[in-house]
Amino acid sequence: MLTRRQFHQRLIAGLAAASLPLPSHGAANPDTAVELYLNRLSFGVRPQDRATVHDPLQWLEDQLAMPASDPALDALLAEARLRITYEAERDENGNNWSAKDELRPLAALGADPAEYLYCIDWDKGIAYAERARPAHETIAASMIRAVHAPAQLREVMTQFWHDHFNVNSTKDEYCAAFFPSYDAMLRENAFGNFRVLLGEVARAPAMLYYLNNADSKASPANENFARELLELHTLGAGNYLNDRYDDWQSVPKGADGMAEGYMDLDVYEVARAFTGWSVGDGRYISEGVTAPKTGRFTYIEAWHDPYQKRILGVEFLPNRAPMADGDDVLDMLARHPGTARFVCTKLARRFLSDTPPDAVIDHLATVFRSAVDAPDQMTQVIRALVNHPAFAAIPPGKIRRPFEFLVGLYRATGAQITGTESGQQWVLMKAGWRQHEYGPPTGHPDVLAAWTGASALNRIVDFAMYAHDDWFAVATLDRRPQPGEQLGTYMSRWSNRFGVPDLTDLITEFDGDPATPMTDFTEEEVNGLANAAIGFSALRPAFMLR
Amino acid sequence: MAREPILVVLFLRGGADGLGLVCPSSDENLIAARPESLRVLRKGDGEGRAIAQDIADVDFRFHPNLAPFADLYEAGDLSMIHASGLTEATRSHFDAEARMERGLFGKDLPPGDPSGWIGRWLAAAKPQGPMPALAVGTAQPASLLGSDAAVSESLGDLMVASGHWLAPALRARLAAGFGQHGPLAAPLQGLLQLSDMIGQRLWSETDQALLSYSPSVEYPENPLTPSLMTVAQAIKQDMGLRVATVDFASWDTHVAQAGDFSELTNWLASSVMAFWRDLGVLQQDVSLVVMSEFGRRLRSNSAGGTDHGRGNVMFVLGPQARGGRMLGHWPGLQNEALEEGADLAVVTDYRTVLAELLKGHMGLDNPEQVFPGFAASPLGLWG
Repeated sequence: MLTRRQFHQRLIAGLAAASLPLPSHGAANPDTAVELYLNRLSFGVRPQDRATVHDPLQWLEDQLAMPASDPALDALLAEARLRITYEAERDENGNNWSAKDELRPLAALGADPAEYLYCIDWDKGIAYAERARPAHETIAASMIRAVHAPAQLREVMTQFWHDHFNVNSTKDEYCAAFFPSYDAMLRENAFGNFRVLLGEVARAPAMLYYLNNADSKASPANENFARELLELHTLGAGNYLNDRYDDWQSVPKGADGMAEGYMDLDVYEVARAFTGWSVGDGRYISEGVTAPKTGRFTYIEAWHDPYQKRILGVEFLPNRAPMADGDDVLDMLARHPGTARFVCTKLARRFLSDTPPDAVIDHLATVFRSAVDAPDQMTQVIRALVNHPAFAAIPPGKIRRPFEFLVGLYRATGAQITGTESGQQWVLMKAGWRQHEYGPPTGHPDVLAAWTGASALNRIVDFAMYAHDDWFAVATLDRRPQPGEQLGTYMSRWSNRFGVPDLTDLITEFDGDPATPMTDFTEEEVNGLANAAIGFSALRPAFMLR
Repeated sequence: MAREPILVVLFLRGGADGLGLVCPSSDENLIAARPESLRVLRKGDGEGRAIAQDIADVDFRFHPNLAPFADLYEAGDLSMIHASGLTEATRSHFDAEARMERGLFGKDLPPGDPSGWIGRWLAAAKPQGPMPALAVGTAQPASLLGSDAAVSESLGDLMVASGHWLAPALRARLAAGFGQHGPLAAPLQGLLQLSDMIGQRLWSETDQALLSYSPSVEYPENPLTPSLMTVAQAIKQDMGLRVATVDFASWDTHVAQAGDFSELTNWLASSVMAFWRDLGVLQQDVSLVVMSEFGRRLRSNSAGGTDHGRGNVMFVLGPQARGGRMLGHWPGLQNEALEEGADLAVVTDYRTVLAELLKGHMGLDNPEQVFPGFAASPLGLWG
């Protein structure tokens, strides 16, 4: 449903478009509702979206209905090539390998993880670049997907879950080998049920390695996963009550069997519950016994601590069925009101505002809890957020973080991402963004202040001004003038893509004549003019904020 | 003019072999566990300078290529803290670096706080000035998480669109186009101010390029030099710099360590010495700490290298410290003293050293603001 205001804005925009001699790529005065909704819910509005999307809420429904895989995108990914390069070397076992420098397809995406166990076979003499290759391919693919995926909202949610359930894909070769399946799992479950997603994450080899649970056995259990499960994946740090109470009975509702928050005691017990949750990587278990070589989750009964536990005030009996301890913990956490609030706060912060209103969070948490068993739980929560009156009422104030800025820029200009080099990872790192390589388990921060340091901002300026010079061989953009085009129309053809009517002021400022035929300029000058038009259009609050 | 103190953190990435840097050369356990090429010898070709110290009845010697460090030690400018590191055992690069740079772990970790120890220092000390922190390199190290530190390989990286034909027009729009109170207005003003400052001091209008830095001494050519020159330049330009981080990679010497390590130690010592001389009288404002995520295994492996270990040596350079000493204590290398029977034990928490630097050198009254829950017992680096 359109509001009166939106209707009015559309009318004005339509009039302006009709009365000005604008080129074919979208209206110059964009429909602010479409702009706002799509910039929040996708990696950035494209010029053609302005022409084709009229009802953002219908667009949302279309997006929510899109499957995780798309034939056109799959074809792009199949065409993509990523360079692999390394020197000839000898490893500590005396294995030699020869130098390589070649372009290879992204073969690990969608492959059976069992085929990538060689990445962690230390008897095999292969270069580090080969062992880490599955991670590098997933990173390269993420830019292609973000720019070109028709299912934009699913990509944005996949990135959201990557930060929520952060795994550094190149922490080590183990995380790298199993990162493609982790990425695919998050994408598959992006709109689904939170408990299902939580269970998949807890069983994902990449996570099991990243937070050391793969090696956790009785006793002592490794606490790393347990702590982050409570602090970052479910209840959130705000429900860590260790400083407030001396014992579990004192935690509100602890004695009633669902404590309001957790203490270190709970961390220790949760860690015990997940002992034996490991990876089928052929690992040694005991004399003559090894784990299967599946590249998937495996449960090692012999490593599990089977005795009684007490978690959030709930008693767990000893010697229960395989994995029942861990699964019951996940059930409790997924249904906990603290988890609903924590996850919904992060979601509202992602899509709406650094400081989302309490009323929005309350509303989302209610939906989250009432849909706790629904297969489309997260779909319902997202729909509730976008349909909330606050969604249209709160003005753009979220910064496009470096990855989002670069992707949004390419979407606006219509550049093609081919991903032949992984150089974008380096330029993003200079801005503080480590796509799928963020070290701390918190994931990338999601507030403006984390991204406005001088050097991060200056890299954003560089992206805007130079990203289409292809200084890292990732994107290509046809910047050739059209027949009969003049400087003024050429510049505004690019600025229109950002919703900027024209750049006459800039042309005046550099003493240009808008009527100059573009044929007067060399190819290098043409490219420079296009880059300037793009840069000056992007470095505005309307593009930098969403 | 008295300036505010500056801390330079040089991180040897990969786990430097502390037993090879500052070597207990007379220790019979070491002699039994390693070939000559992975030890410092007391005479002959591989002879290292002996170290006057009073922490143990052991003949500690500098790696022969660390002769400049021996000079600084003997001049009373350099201290060493051996058998230091993370008290919580991990032999993963990632884990160890992450824990060390965040400076928090386990129970001390404030939930949900991804900040690093230098980030917390910046939050506590609130240094003014256009560029209080600089990470030389391509990515912000975890120690600076939670801060707005500049990250750049050279100061020129902080100039807005330097050399671009439309740079003035772009700067004008960034300055005026974001409103008075918009969320990006103040950060962009900060960037432009820093950019202008660098431009005024380092930009040549005639060449349309950054003036190249002219150090007051000659630096050796190696991978560490450009980073240290950038730090020296920033210090001399008086840009309000208080903390700089420099990464120096490739210390993960699993294979054929002797040759690589010899080169690395040469680069380390020669570049640090050049940096130190380059600072001249500004030395009095600067302390430099050299650290690494862990040391390496006592026993060498079959590939002529060493695997990930635990305890390591830290270096503190600065005239304000009471230098020329080894501090802390030495646990020894006999089997029962080793951690898990394999590695030099960690007997001094690395935070003890950093806390003392923050208090003694940087003037932070309460280092617990940076290392919450950690009560350091000072080693005597200051006072």
